[in-house]
Amino acid sequence: MKKNFKNTIIYSFLMLALFLPTLQAEEEVDFSRDILPILSNNCFACHGPDEAERKAGLRLDLEEGAFLELKSKQRGIVKGDSSKSAVFQRLITDDPDDRMPPKETGKQLSKKEIALIKKWIDSGAKWGKHWAFVAPKKSSVPKKLPQAQAINEVDLFIQMRLKALGLSQEAEADRATLIRRLTLDLTGLPPTVQEIEKFLNDKSKNAYERVVDRLLASERYGEHMARIWLDAARYADTHGLHLDNERGIWPYRDWVINSFNKNQPFDQFTIEQLAGDLLPNSTVQQKVATGFNRCNVTTGEGGSIDAEYYVRYAVERVETTSTVWLGLTAGCSSCHDHKFDPMTQKDFYQLFSYFYSLTEAAMDRNVLYPPPSIKAPTAEQIAQQEKLNKDLQVAQKNLQSTLISLKYEDPHVGQKLDEIKKQDRVWFDDKLPEGAKPSGNELGNSWKFVDKIGKEKVFSGKNASVRTAAGLSQHFFTDAKNKLVIGKNDSLFAYVYLDPKNPPETVQLQFNAGSWEHRAFWGADKGHAPGRNNHTNLRFGKLPELGKWVRLEVPAEKVGLKPGAQLNGWAFTQYGGTVYWDKAGIVTVAPLSKEQLESLSIWEQYQAKTQYTQVPGPISAILKIQKDKRSKDQTTQLTRYYLEHVNPSTQAKLAQPRQQQETIKKKLSDIQKAIPSTLIMEDRKTPRQAYILERGEYTLKREKVDSKTPDWIAPVVKDQPANRLGLAKWLVQKDHPLTSRVTVNRFWQQLFGTGLVKTSEDFGVQGEHPTHPELLDWLSVNFIETGWDMKRFMKMLVMSATYRQSSIVQKEKLAKDPENRFYARGARFRLDAEVIRDQALRVSGLLVGTIGGKSVKPYQPPNLWKPVGFGGSNTSVFRQDKGDKLYRRSMYTFWKRTSPPPSMSTFDAPDRETCQVRRARTNTPLQALVLMNDVQFVEAARKFAERVMKEGGKTVEERLVFAFRSTLTRNPSAKEQKALLALYNASLKDYQKDKAQAVKLLSVGESPRDPSLNPEELASWTMVTHLILNLSETVTKG
Amino acid sequence: MNLNPLRESELIETRRHFFRKSATGIGTAALASLLNPKLFASPAEPNKPNKKVDTGVVGGLPGLPHFAPKAKRVIYLFMSGAPSQLDMWDYKPQLQKWFDKDLPDSIRNGQRITTMTSGQKRFPIAPSKFKFAQHGANGTWISELLPHTASIIDDISVIKTVNTEAINHDPAITYIQTGSQLPGRPSTGSWVSYGLGSMNNNLPSFVVLHSTVNGGFGGQALYARLWGAGFLSTRYQGVSLRSTGDPVLYLSNPSGLDANMRRRMLDTLGELNDERFKSVGDPEIQSRIAQYEMAYRMQSSVPELTDIKDEPESTYELYGQEAKKPGTFAANCLLARRLAERGVRFTQIFIRQWDQHGNLPNDITRQCKIIDQPSAALIKDLKQRGMLDDTLVIWGGEFGRTVYCQGKLTRQNYGRDHHPRCFTKWMAGGGIKPGVLHGETDDFSYNVTENPVHIHDLNATILHCLGVNHERLTFKHQGRDFRLTDVHGKLVKEVLA
Repeated sequence: MKKNFKNTIIYSFLMLALFLPTLQAEEEVDFSRDILPILSNNCFACHGPDEAERKAGLRLDLEEGAFLELKSKQRGIVKGDSSKSAVFQRLITDDPDDRMPPKETGKQLSKKEIALIKKWIDSGAKWGKHWAFVAPKKSSVPKKLPQAQAINEVDLFIQMRLKALGLSQEAEADRATLIRRLTLDLTGLPPTVQEIEKFLNDKSKNAYERVVDRLLASERYGEHMARIWLDAARYADTHGLHLDNERGIWPYRDWVINSFNKNQPFDQFTIEQLAGDLLPNSTVQQKVATGFNRCNVTTGEGGSIDAEYYVRYAVERVETTSTVWLGLTAGCSSCHDHKFDPMTQKDFYQLFSYFYSLTEAAMDRNVLYPPPSIKAPTAEQIAQQEKLNKDLQVAQKNLQSTLISLKYEDPHVGQKLDEIKKQDRVWFDDKLPEGAKPSGNELGNSWKFVDKIGKEKVFSGKNASVRTAAGLSQHFFTDAKNKLVIGKNDSLFAYVYLDPKNPPETVQLQFNAGSWEHRAFWGADKGHAPGRNNHTNLRFGKLPELGKWVRLEVPAEKVGLKPGAQLNGWAFTQYGGTVYWDKAGIVTVAPLSKEQLESLSIWEQYQAKTQYTQVPGPISAILKIQKDKRSKDQTTQLTRYYLEHVNPSTQAKLAQPRQQQETIKKKLSDIQKAIPSTLIMEDRKTPRQAYILERGEYTLKREKVDSKTPDWIAPVVKDQPANRLGLAKWLVQKDHPLTSRVTVNRFWQQLFGTGLVKTSEDFGVQGEHPTHPELLDWLSVNFIETGWDMKRFMKMLVMSATYRQSSIVQKEKLAKDPENRFYARGARFRLDAEVIRDQALRVSGLLVGTIGGKSVKPYQPPNLWKPVGFGGSNTSVFRQDKGDKLYRRSMYTFWKRTSPPPSMSTFDAPDRETCQVRRARTNTPLQALVLMNDVQFVEAARKFAERVMKEGGKTVEERLVFAFRSTLTRNPSAKEQKALLALYNASLKDYQKDKAQAVKLLSVGESPRDPSLNPEELASWTMVTHLILNLSETVTKG
Repeated sequence: MNLNPLRESELIETRRHFFRKSATGIGTAALASLLNPKLFASPAEPNKPNKKVDTGVVGGLPGLPHFAPKAKRVIYLFMSGAPSQLDMWDYKPQLQKWFDKDLPDSIRNGQRITTMTSGQKRFPIAPSKFKFAQHGANGTWISELLPHTASIIDDISVIKTVNTEAINHDPAITYIQTGSQLPGRPSTGSWVSYGLGSMNNNLPSFVVLHSTVNGGFGGQALYARLWGAGFLSTRYQGVSLRSTGDPVLYLSNPSGLDANMRRRMLDTLGELNDERFKSVGDPEIQSRIAQYEMAYRMQSSVPELTDIKDEPESTYELYGQEAKKPGTFAANCLLARRLAERGVRFTQIFIRQWDQHGNLPNDITRQCKIIDQPSAALIKDLKQRGMLDDTLVIWGGEFGRTVYCQGKLTRQNYGRDHHPRCFTKWMAGGGIKPGVLHGETDDFSYNVTENPVHIHDLNATILHCLGVNHERLTFKHQGRDFRLTDVHGKLVKEVLA
């Protein structure tokens, strides 16, 4: 019997992947493993959770439903008696009309499945819950097998299972293989020759562990882990829909890298990404983390309806969050109760409600930072700011001490200042004030100038500005640096000339003193802000006389400009007609002469006469006090102000320290400007009410629902708010059945190619049963118990003997276990797109290791964006970067969602439009073309060849070995060496015949070629390295 | 990069030699895999299709086609931006009396419209300024914009009642191409490649062509997802055949590495990969050897395909002289015929700039001048080569345009907003009954009055012509069986032969 059983097992896993046997299987039928999948696959669509579709009143997803009496008076299932169970009888009846499942479903039960159902019913129809919805218990660890090499618990579980299958594990792989496997797995890069040497020569017992620790401590680890997580987060650099404009959210990407590198526990990692903004006193970085749920695609397409998109975004966020943490496909339930899992539509919209109340707008407006967003300085920027602020303090002290050391004697004590007259001070004539940003109705600079008007001259200087308009139109500037300070009773003036042949209906002057709410007009009330009749827009009379230059003058007070107000902008506005403008400024008191400024007492008198409008408040307060009544401090303060800001001689002496201070301030302001923003989550003050939406239609609102987590997965966590923070805490509670399982399964998948649950995105009833349920449970409990420590967990996996086995594929094992789901050999699979490129960059020496920052645009074939991009999109033209940016790790390549980098997509990188937790691994001719002909790979080959010639030794043989080892860590076999040598020699012969060809090959890519190397030899070495980069082994982890 | 024929035959000989001498029989296996790379499909790939024994067809699912197909291949002429059915196909002469009068509320009936016009105070009717005349055996009314298409009217089947729910370009074109308004699903062409496999081992089975308009690109955006494979394996995604640079990305050898050197490099590569296979036994390696050989063959088969020098002058009389300029819609139609001749399963040509919110009469005239003759030529050409019988050709956009004017209205100039509730497409060739005029709309070309054809119905019908039951071409993803037509789709039997 025992023996028979073993055969059955082998047979069954070969024939029916669904029935992956477990050790406990023995004779017993396990409901969750054996029966539930059959019911779910074949019956639930009509007899499952979806009430609307339910037939005959029979419900098979719930224990209470299965044993009820049906409309037909029969019972669905009678415990212990299949002959009385309608469910079973309908499976075996000959009557084609009665037979289940109905023919039109195209579904059919196999004999084996029918036999299982019978066995299960006859043995008492023991009910159970789907395995993944029951919290994992720490399984007891199997005993060590006598002959097996077991290093940790992982091995014990795996080996126990293999024994039952009559298989055993391979011996540990050789060190060269191990270090390549390990380095690729933990950092996404190959080891360097020095690292290989060091490991091969390390005689210590824990040599392997030392490599593991070194790699886990390397910053490359965080990048690699982050790159994988970013598939799940659907991170990209554009919005994704319609215009697909650039999106600024890379600080989130850098947050992920940093989190992995500092080994943030997974529960915190979860909480911050889902609800960092809701944590008490949340930091900038915690807010940055919430970018996770701002990575979804958004639209700015004209014509879209907001309400529809609010719903779409929230649905997408539930689907993503659900796939990543719950391993459940919630999306189905947006339209109807889930057909297979207990997720009801109500459950879904209660989850939906968590994500339905953001402050974001439905339309992203195609801008870089659709709100809510936050300024997120990089660590480097913060450090620079701190340093500069310190420098600034020093500089200020310098300035102060210089100031204190100044000796001053008033040269004109007692001299009285005459009455001062008002005069015109021109603010701008032929040229706008410094810093002014010209603008107007047309895009860009709207200012047009003429040097004469017909035969008439311009009023002043070389030119006058002009505008012809059909309606309301204007040209203006803002941001003038040299601001125009308004004094008491000052007036503003400008000269205007109206074309008699085409007069306007209105001319208007608008002044910007922080806002534009200071206007004056002449003629009809058709300028900006009509109908106000107050200082924000006041009429100053009829239109000026046509055909001659007229001075317009506006008393500043009348348009709300009080003494001390400072203008930075000015607008010339008209309604229709052709209008010329010239010379504008202010009628104000004449300034003091340089000589007068040398005298504090004269300056004081001047201030009194100009009503103290030209000095800051505290200084004017002191000036208003009678000289002899001022305190000593006040006198000192006043004098210092005067010496520092007014007196020409002392100002000159302060020039140097002041310059120093200005330079630092400039640097600070540059950093401030360079600080990136990033999209974050933020809830509305008043939540938006969620409803169940019939068929998922945004217009079909049904029952009101509020934020709540589904109880059937795990109970609500007490004392937590009903917001995203509560949701996050619910996910990472100790007894949650899914979060830890789903997470450790993804780590397993990363290293072993396939998860213990193959459908890593679906742990629901339709997902695949775990190959090793006890191990999965043990791992997930272990992960929680050890504080969700990701580095520790990864270390445990890579330390195992299971991981370290040789990956050589024995024929017998291949036949028994083609997909290596039972781990009788080491994992072997094609590297991810990014790793393939990064590896080439690394071995060629081109790789630029900078971590983080704005995404880069390395080579891509021409004309990819233009044929698909919307004309107005800021990503319709691809501008390739230069220099270092061509050689950054692939995770930093700018990801345009509607036209992703083809060398990545070709190797199965997901499109990043939706959440993806499992990548396909294809093997196609287009991949061959990328490795053969992509500039990036050809350039890498020729730079690699330079390394081979310079670092690889003297002889051709030495160099061959170097080239081979640099990429594959092992030495070439004699045969391999011979073949490569033949290729080298044949290539050399060709290139020596045609040197121009060699130079051409060596000119591929933008990095310069080393002119000290013989081009024909270098080109021939390039052929060799090019071949090595194309080897199957090179693109495979083995 | 001309291959030296002598050298080439030597190399083939060398390869034969290489395969023959390989002791383990892997050589033979590798050679077989050239004919059928699917034999070595990666086992790590989720839900991979099973291998299929069928001469001439590579890949595809077992049991497909579900029934004898009428069409072996598809050419889809996609008018991106949504052409106006009112000015081309849906003749409403009585609207002349309605000029500048408001669309009756009873017609709009509260249906949602885009926010581009929902703020308009009025919805004034804009009758088409173009003249219509009856053509063909059943007297189909066709606008003067389409004289050449009118000449093939007896060969095509016109559906006036195609409809969708989406009211904007991105969701609408994603919807018609993938069956869902949201990103993430496979496109029609990738479903077809996945289900039916390829009929040519040297070319991709799903090819996408982008057309220039007056020498440039512009108009509504397109998205990789429109020919993407969604959750299917990336091997089924459409491959763009480009008019500038490499026709297929990365096809050309780098400068300084000629075809002979490439052959030598690939021979050594094959040798080393085979060595590796012998020592580690991973069948993926054999598959990779095969993929490299196919890549090598593509390096000659693709340029041969796109090199139209061998076309006689009569071709250009048929398609128009524009067909000589690579990248034009005319050139792409010609290329589509050449692809069809070589067994490419699904070819989709995109032409943009149909989004005429304003200045419609002028812009649609330009567009029709570009597409009319080549579209008709394609039908005629396929017919004269006896290929129309097993090639399905589809013409149309993602939705239609409104009867009411957007912006300023005059008799001579007007614009139209997006209209999802009815629009016109035509189909012809394999599986399609010629000369059918299907469906009727109300007097305002606003609502369907007879025989609505939802875009799911249209897609179901396309698959049907290929011998595929749309309900049975499914892929299990995230625990659910997905299909192109979601849970919808009825065959449009009236247009089926």
